Amino acid sequence: MLKRLLVLFALFATFAFAANVGDVTSVKTIKVNRGLTKLGKSCVECHAKLTPGHVNDWRESRHGHVGVSCIDCHVVQKDNPMAAQNCKGVQGTDVYVSILVSPKTCGRCHVNEVKEFHQSGHARAALQVAAKPSMQALMHKFEGRDDPHLKNAPEATGCMQCHGTVIKLDKNKRPTAETWPNYGIGNVYPDGSVGNCKSCHSAHRFTITEARKPAACASCHLGPDHPDIEIYNNSMHGHIFNAEGNTWKYDSAPDAWEPGDYRAPTCATCHMSGIGDLKSTHNVSKRLKWNLWAPISKLRDGGYETAVTEFEKTGKATAGNPLAGNPKGSAAGRAEMEQVCKSCHVPTHTKNFFKMGDQHVELYNKYAKEAKGIIDELTKKGLMKKDKWADEAFKTWYHLWHHEGRRMRQGALMAGPDYAHWHGVFELQQDIRVLRDIYKYRTENNKIEQP
Amino acid sequence: MSDKMEKNAKRSIWAILILLGIGLVIGLCISYVAAVVVEKTAGEKFCTLCHTMQPMADAYNADVHGGKNSFGVKASCVDCHLPHDSLAAYLIEKARTGLHDVRVQTFSDVSKIDWQAKRKRAKEFVFDSGCMSCHANLRDATMSNPKGFIAHKEYFEKRTDKKCVECHENVGHHILGDYIKK
Repeated sequence: MLKRLLVLFALFATFAFAANVGDVTSVKTIKVNRGLTKLGKSCVECHAKLTPGHVNDWRESRHGHVGVSCIDCHVVQKDNPMAAQNCKGVQGTDVYVSILVSPKTCGRCHVNEVKEFHQSGHARAALQVAAKPSMQALMHKFEGRDDPHLKNAPEATGCMQCHGTVIKLDKNKRPTAETWPNYGIGNVYPDGSVGNCKSCHSAHRFTITEARKPAACASCHLGPDHPDIEIYNNSMHGHIFNAEGNTWKYDSAPDAWEPGDYRAPTCATCHMSGIGDLKSTHNVSKRLKWNLWAPISKLRDGGYETAVTEFEKTGKATAGNPLAGNPKGSAAGRAEMEQVCKSCHVPTHTKNFFKMGDQHVELYNKYAKEAKGIIDELTKKGLMKKDKWADEAFKTWYHLWHHEGRRMRQGALMAGPDYAHWHGVFELQQDIRVLRDIYKYRTENNKIEQP
Repeated sequence: MSDKMEKNAKRSIWAILILLGIGLVIGLCISYVAAVVVEKTAGEKFCTLCHTMQPMADAYNADVHGGKNSFGVKASCVDCHLPHDSLAAYLIEKARTGLHDVRVQTFSDVSKIDWQAKRKRAKEFVFDSGCMSCHANLRDATMSNPKGFIAHKEYFEKRTDKKCVECHENVGHHILGDYIKK
């Protein structure tokens, strides 16, 4: 009897389990009956089964609230280079869709955000990689070993994940594996549009909360060459965020996110948000005084970024404008940044902080100019190796500016003392000694290799 | 006043009145002819007299603006391609583009025109005042029509310098790119 009961119970349990999890699609069915077009509804309802993650993001989003549905962003005209009918739902109709959604689409409603983005350094991220032969050589020749099948892997899995890429389509209008998927910020789309809103806002949900947290920036701004998230975490700002940031309010309207919603700034607060009289911007270069990534730091007096306007005019990728910043000049950029500080700090605090930060940048320039002088001199005298990546002098110089020098400068201007000092200037004073010794040996003996 | 002078004065008043009358009639005739000419040269029939414009006309006929809508309403070529902020601007631009088209059609090789490149600068020959003379309601859109309202808020608050065709790339000519290729 007990046996029978157990078997019966087991059977019943199996049925109950199967009924609940056997058909996962049934719990994902969404019936939408408001404001959307017939086609818009059918996309949502079908994709709730096919790609429940996408639809889930969408229904939690502002777009979902205001009735902007799948098709509104993914539809393209038939003569658009990205137009395809790979989706069964539109096959045989005169509706064409694209798996890729370019900033041109986002810009139809978020027109100023896209414009400001194009005026910022972010916009040249992919174009400059395409335009610089040295970067192409590093990825394909030196790292990819010129291997016919494998040479694109370093770029696809690395560089373009942050920088973006010039996206190519195969004959079925699907993006190629060499150029997509990526979350790179400077993507160049087949329709000629540049940028990638989902780099910071992540696709289908596009939440402002997410973009305002440091994590949005940290997936790219980290590591040996620009450890911005590490610097932030090293700073008092980051300390407060890490201690209590989970209790703050991140969803205030743009321009209305003010101290009180948060107790310390995140990346977005200083570089983008509207605070007090300061207007919010998607031009992340606008509040900067210095270029802190180039071999020699110069003032950002170059006006707006030019890579996108140049690309739209000529169709050519260019290195862009490394001194892009505030259109009114670097002093105006700094003044805007000080306006941010003002909402929490007294002027003496701010002025003193920037005075010493600026001095650290100028100190860096002294190192960099001497080091570059040594490299230029050795190059002129023919005392550098042909394969520069095998040359100690070149490697030391590269690390000096590209890794340690950036840490030194960015650490100083974002209040990360460990990076300004130990990962920064301390390493530089070592590097310059190495370079001086190499210079001495090579010029005195007129040869490259040391015994 | 003498009789003679009085007669002369009367005669000249008559002469002036008659001249005014003739002037009025001639003026009306000219205005009528001008109006008819302006009207007759406004649509796709006139514009396609030159073969060059055939793809644009075909794409237009396949488009909502060319009558492919549930009301059958058509916008004629000039509704979009001439400014509508003043009659003077309208007529001047009409004359300018008209003369330009005649010159290019007669004296240059029209087969060498890069139409795809021209499309990229559509904002130079599609006028927002034209769009707005029909789509005036858009200005007063509210959240009851969220798509119309949200998408055009920045435009009507003059916080963007984008022109209508910069977002609505294919407007007026359904898949123009395909027709140009053919």
